[in-house]
Amino acid sequence: MKSKILILVLPMILCCLYACANTRSIAVTHPEAVSGIPDCNECHTDSYALLNHKTPDFFKRHGFYAGTSRQACVSCHSEGFCADCHAHKEEIKPADKFADSPERMLPHQGDYISQHKFDGRTNPASCVKCHGRQNNQRCASCHK
Amino acid sequence: MKLFPQRISSHLLNSGSKAATLLSFLSIMAISTSVLAADFSVTGESSTILRFRTTVDSKDLYPAYEYLKLNTSGKLSDGSTLGLYFGGWGRVDLGDRSTDKYSETDLQYLYASYRLANNNTSVNIGRQFVTEGVAAEKIDGLYVRGDLIAGLSAAAFVGKAVTTETDLQGGKAIYGTRVSLSNPNIYSIGLSALKSESSQNARYREEEGFDIWLHPVKNIELTGRSSYNSITSNWMEHSYTLSATPLKNLNISTSLNSINYTDYFYHMTTNALSLNNGFIQPGETMNALGVAASYNLPKNLTLSADYKRYSYDIAGDADYYGINCKYSSPEIVTAGFGMHRMDGSTPRLRYLETRLYALKKIGAFDISADLFNIDFDNKISGVKDSFSLTGSGGYELNKQLKLAANVEYSRSPDFDREVKALVKLTYLFDTNIGQGGNKSEK
Repeated sequence: MKSKILILVLPMILCCLYACANTRSIAVTHPEAVSGIPDCNECHTDSYALLNHKTPDFFKRHGFYAGTSRQACVSCHSEGFCADCHAHKEEIKPADKFADSPERMLPHQGDYISQHKFDGRTNPASCVKCHGRQNNQRCASCHK
Repeated sequence: MKLFPQRISSHLLNSGSKAATLLSFLSIMAISTSVLAADFSVTGESSTILRFRTTVDSKDLYPAYEYLKLNTSGKLSDGSTLGLYFGGWGRVDLGDRSTDKYSETDLQYLYASYRLANNNTSVNIGRQFVTEGVAAEKIDGLYVRGDLIAGLSAAAFVGKAVTTETDLQGGKAIYGTRVSLSNPNIYSIGLSALKSESSQNARYREEEGFDIWLHPVKNIELTGRSSYNSITSNWMEHSYTLSATPLKNLNISTSLNSINYTDYFYHMTTNALSLNNGFIQPGETMNALGVAASYNLPKNLTLSADYKRYSYDIAGDADYYGINCKYSSPEIVTAGFGMHRMDGSTPRLRYLETRLYALKKIGAFDISADLFNIDFDNKISGVKDSFSLTGSGGYELNKQLKLAANVEYSRSPDFDREVKALVKLTYLFDTNIGQGGNKSEK
């Protein structure tokens, strides 16, 4: 009985909290056109400045920002940008598909058939986000 | 640590035909409403790719791909936005049709999205990539988020997990939530949970997470996350990074990662990453402590150095360290050089890794070269140096159409000599009516 009351009351509380929030949404499209690898410090002085893509560890931290403030990401990036690497199925590794943009921090540079054995040995967890439960058909070619 | 009741009626989530009908209806609504909207835009990208490569058994392959991305969105009079987003690809092999795998297609994403002008409210339905705390999942389903009062915000998703079941079954129904409390310039603390059930309604994945973003003073930022596996009753991962900018052009960061293999590699769909394959050692714990520093010199030059110490409970330790140098002036040239040393406990994990690349634009043309080399301390399969050299060239026929091609030559312990080539024709289209803008695909 208590759980049924909770199920009824919780949405009502959430609706009240939502109705009273009245915050302004992040712009659907970034007001200024951005090209190349952006340094958000050039314009922003608030917390958005920390999204500076030129810091050396931004590539490693981008997943954290996507998991906590995706609204800011989608102001500039479309879903297709994420899908370039985070694919359900993919046959061309990102570094090959965009070989004409070597400045991008794309995963799997060079001959990755050989290299993946070293990365898989030192930090196999880094493979899981993209290949643990999807995009892993090619693994079966060797890993029976 | 359980934030969910034990089970949700998964039959509600598995009604695929109903979901498809609903998605179709919403898509038609989204398109028609977008068309009627004052600001309406259709943007997209078509990439036609032809590859050339030879397999280990000397079979020539000529796969041709078509990648298509399509975004339609319209801004309504009340400031809200309605959109439909599609991405997918198809492939056919022009040379080898000896097996039934000569063609393949994939729907990457297809969802309708409704975003309100206030409370950062989003409602998405369809195939989408959900990233909320512990969840970084592709789902066929519903995602909702919005701001609440006093810095609180909440997000929830429910649907069917989109997995590739190469060797083992993936979860079927998946649902999760994240609740966060934040002050936009100082901190954000989030609690999240994810649950997935198998086709037999059995417990497949149950994960809970805590994430934190701290910005106590202007030059310091802490980001981090811990995730817990409720089925194995142990922590899966701790991952934290502290970044500081003591000088305008100097950035220093330290990171700590800890992974418990038994809890992290729970229920994968490929043997390659499962706990019983012999590669992933059950009971192993990896701790990685890293430090990195970068300094931006005038004239677009960035120098950086990094060091990471990998420690394991079972396997031997490893050190990875090196330097990077990058010059970026799109009008003149973009170039980079990196050199890293891996010092591991096994002969295969002792090598020097070097990368050198350059990109030059000349009017409508661009050319680039990229060298990646690994010099092993000890030969592997008789090979001391593993390298790949890629040369690329592109020509912009106009602002929308670009033709690019690249050739890669490589030698490695797995291939004596390998030559691969790729030709790509990219067409960008962008139709704006009113004041609607577009977004970057790059």
